[in-house]
Amino acid sequence: MSTQQQEPETQEAPEDPEMKGAQSPQDRRLAEKESGAIDEESEKKAELEGETVHIKVFRYDPEVEGKQEPRFDDFHVPFEKGMTVLDAVIYARDEYDSSLTFRHSCRQAVCGSDAFFINGKQRLACKTQLSELEQPVRIEPLPHQEVVKDLVVDMGHFYDQMHAVEPYFQDEDTPEVSDLEEQHQSPENREKIKMSSRCIWCGACMSSCNIAAGDNQYLGPAAINKAYKFAMDDRESEEIKEHRLRILEQEHGVWRCQTQFSCTEVCPKDIPLTEHIQELKREAVKKNLKFW
Amino acid sequence: MAERYSSFVPGGTAWLLQRITAAFLVVVLAFHFFQLHFVNHAADVTFQGTQARMSNVGYFLTMVLFLIAGAFHGLNGVYNALVNQGLDGTPKKVVLAVLTIAGVALVVQGTYVALAMAGWT
Amino acid sequence: MSQSYNRGLVEDFGRWKEFTAGMWAWIFHKFTGWMLIGYLFTHIAVLSTAIGAAGDTAAIQAETDIYTTTIQGLEELFIVRVLEVGLLAVAVFHILNGLRLLMVDLGIGLEAQDKSFYASLILTGVITVASVPTFMKGVGF
Repeated sequence: MSTQQQEPETQEAPEDPEMKGAQSPQDRRLAEKESGAIDEESEKKAELEGETVHIKVFRYDPEVEGKQEPRFDDFHVPFEKGMTVLDAVIYARDEYDSSLTFRHSCRQAVCGSDAFFINGKQRLACKTQLSELEQPVRIEPLPHQEVVKDLVVDMGHFYDQMHAVEPYFQDEDTPEVSDLEEQHQSPENREKIKMSSRCIWCGACMSSCNIAAGDNQYLGPAAINKAYKFAMDDRESEEIKEHRLRILEQEHGVWRCQTQFSCTEVCPKDIPLTEHIQELKREAVKKNLKFW
Repeated sequence: MAERYSSFVPGGTAWLLQRITAAFLVVVLAFHFFQLHFVNHAADVTFQGTQARMSNVGYFLTMVLFLIAGAFHGLNGVYNALVNQGLDGTPKKVVLAVLTIAGVALVVQGTYVALAMAGWT
Repeated sequence: MSQSYNRGLVEDFGRWKEFTAGMWAWIFHKFTGWMLIGYLFTHIAVLSTAIGAAGDTAAIQAETDIYTTTIQGLEELFIVRVLEVGLLAVAVFHILNGLRLLMVDLGIGLEAQDKSFYASLILTGVITVASVPTFMKGVGF
């Protein structure tokens, strides 16, 4: 049985490498697993000439003469089931080129450090399965941000916009003593802001936004979403909500959003960004109509 | 320009007006196309026919409002497109002035044309 | 060293294949918008011949006034008819996608925004094709 399983694999590969692509990744992995379980030697073989993923990584380093002109480097990384794009670049860095630079930390889509431009889309590298991507996988730094080195971009402007909406709870008043001493939020209200609170500041949305690319002063989806989280929180007073809306209704605030849905499509935490921006537009209009 | 301290910020006003004119234009533009290409064919337009339509006060007012809404919606759209591209500072003010003048001129000229069509000049 | 590299608009038209429905809708809406405002100015300019035509009752009766002759002269041209069909397509798309955008502004059906864009594209095509006979009447159709 073992030889039967192995034979087509070894025959096929040199003859027609394209045939491998026609097989479903699952079939391939199953075959590999089975052959690997049989004897260790063939496993090693598979490791050597077995399945690899071809990644093309953007390289740039102003301090190294040969890298001042941006280029793409090719890496062939041995594939393992469940491997993410981040795993692949970590492997490439650890095994091939220790100067390959990128941000990463938690590796589980919580810290928001590793948003890259992968195959033409802003994605979180640790949350993107290699098996879902077409090869070669093109890995670039986030567009519309200055590249500091390799996959590292300058997030300064993004953070400035995030801070511009005053992303912190501002109500000084504590509830009356007869009530509770904690500021409880109703479950309904919590539900309302639930999605907006999932933001991990990865910057994918801002990078995908066509308008933010052209208009540097535009607050951008992440910052507006952050403002939404606080503006919609019932525990803050009406005055503070109005203050928040005044920040958002400036010329470069919510009105610049052209509802292209790019941000909503790339958000790794599935935040309905466009929906939130639209709601804030309506809130701002409503608030202003009240004074008329 | 001096800072406006009104609670009604221009950005929001323009945004709302853009939507209101849009809703109006959808209806009137569809009507206009239907009226002059399907009910009456554009090739058969004569001054007499035009005058017969335009001398109806309701039609005249609709058409003038159509023109004003169209001019605002179109030129505000152009302005927004340019601001989205990052137009800023003095060029932005110049563009706004030019578009405003063009819009006013268009509305004035168009209204004059409509009056001539109705035979009220 | 605080040097960095600006990659510019890497998502510009060189990557049009990667654009999403919402981006296309925006591009088409903007493009058709520019065409429509451009047409509005031309339209008023052509109709301005009415100013010269007004008053001359005899010419108006005989349909030889400058307004009537200008419009009918233009309508005789095949290219003008073709451009009119183009204008209809542009206007219909702008209307349909405009309705879609109004819905989006009201927060209705945001999950179906891509489908509604495709629907407005298809509907535009259908309406345009269906209107061709009417628009081409008298110039070879």
